[in-house]
Amino acid sequence: MDRGVWARIGSTLVGIWLMAAPALLGYGAPAEINDRIAGPVAATFAIIAISGVTRPLRRVNTATGLWLLVAPWLLGYGGGVQTLNDMVAGALLLLFSLVKGTVDSRFGGGWSALSNSPHARHATADSLQRGER
Amino acid sequence: MTDSDAPPGWSYNPSTWSQRLPLVGAATAGLFIASYLAAFQLDWVRTIWEPFFGDGTRQVLTSKLSGVLPIPDAALGAIGYLADAVTGAIGGTRRWKTMPWIVILFGIAVGPLGIVSIALVMSQPLVVGAWCTLCLASAVISVVMIGPATDEMLASLQYVKRQSDLGHSKWKTFWGTADA
Repeated sequence: MDRGVWARIGSTLVGIWLMAAPALLGYGAPAEINDRIAGPVAATFAIIAISGVTRPLRRVNTATGLWLLVAPWLLGYGGGVQTLNDMVAGALLLLFSLVKGTVDSRFGGGWSALSNSPHARHATADSLQRGER
Repeated sequence: MTDSDAPPGWSYNPSTWSQRLPLVGAATAGLFIASYLAAFQLDWVRTIWEPFFGDGTRQVLTSKLSGVLPIPDAALGAIGYLADAVTGAIGGTRRWKTMPWIVILFGIAVGPLGIVSIALVMSQPLVVGAWCTLCLASAVISVVMIGPATDEMLASLQYVKRQSDLGHSKWKTFWGTADA
């Protein structure tokens, strides 16, 4: 299977873990609140980005990962297992989000085909030839 | 794999039944789950199935948040899934160009439903302080549908754009009344 799909599955699992971690590891706010928001966000966009046409949305979890790396300090976790947990989860999300993988299907120029200027038909034809990889 | 009904520049046709039936199936499953949850919220059934989180489902479904709208939130979900299933099923295998309006309506029905589901997932532990298994299952279904539904919408949007670039009416193309 495509590496990009595995990376999305990995991010999904990290997201689900973040939802469960506050209860399983026994930590409270602010880490609890942060993880119970970041977790569903990570899992949702990872699942959506499995499809080739929505693969660019993997980048949302680049932001989620970066946020989790700085959140322990910005939100004042004060160390502990919750800090370690967010650092590891954030690093994994960041790494997974950088793996694009291969999309074999072609989508007629993809989303950029919608934004060409009305008379740029040559550009449209070119992008149709090339396809969205 | 190429397909004679595939949009120009596409390696496949996103409007075939093999592309759409799984989505209609998922929406139908979501419709059953949401209807069951709504039936509990409307007091039509007295107990609710919850295998993992103890009293969680009851707490979530009877929370203040679940009742802020004029109708129970699960009933709204059921209406959303019904819209997904109906707009996913209407039209033939060339509907990306023959009926752009239904394809775009399908995309609009699938997208926001998924977003609302995730907002409700976040609110379960944060606002209510409990989890609800079937609510989570419903959220998974609505999120899983988004990616696979989006390709067909892109094909329709590209078609409308292409026709409009050629000087045809966007409006007529959208409704599928233009000569295609």
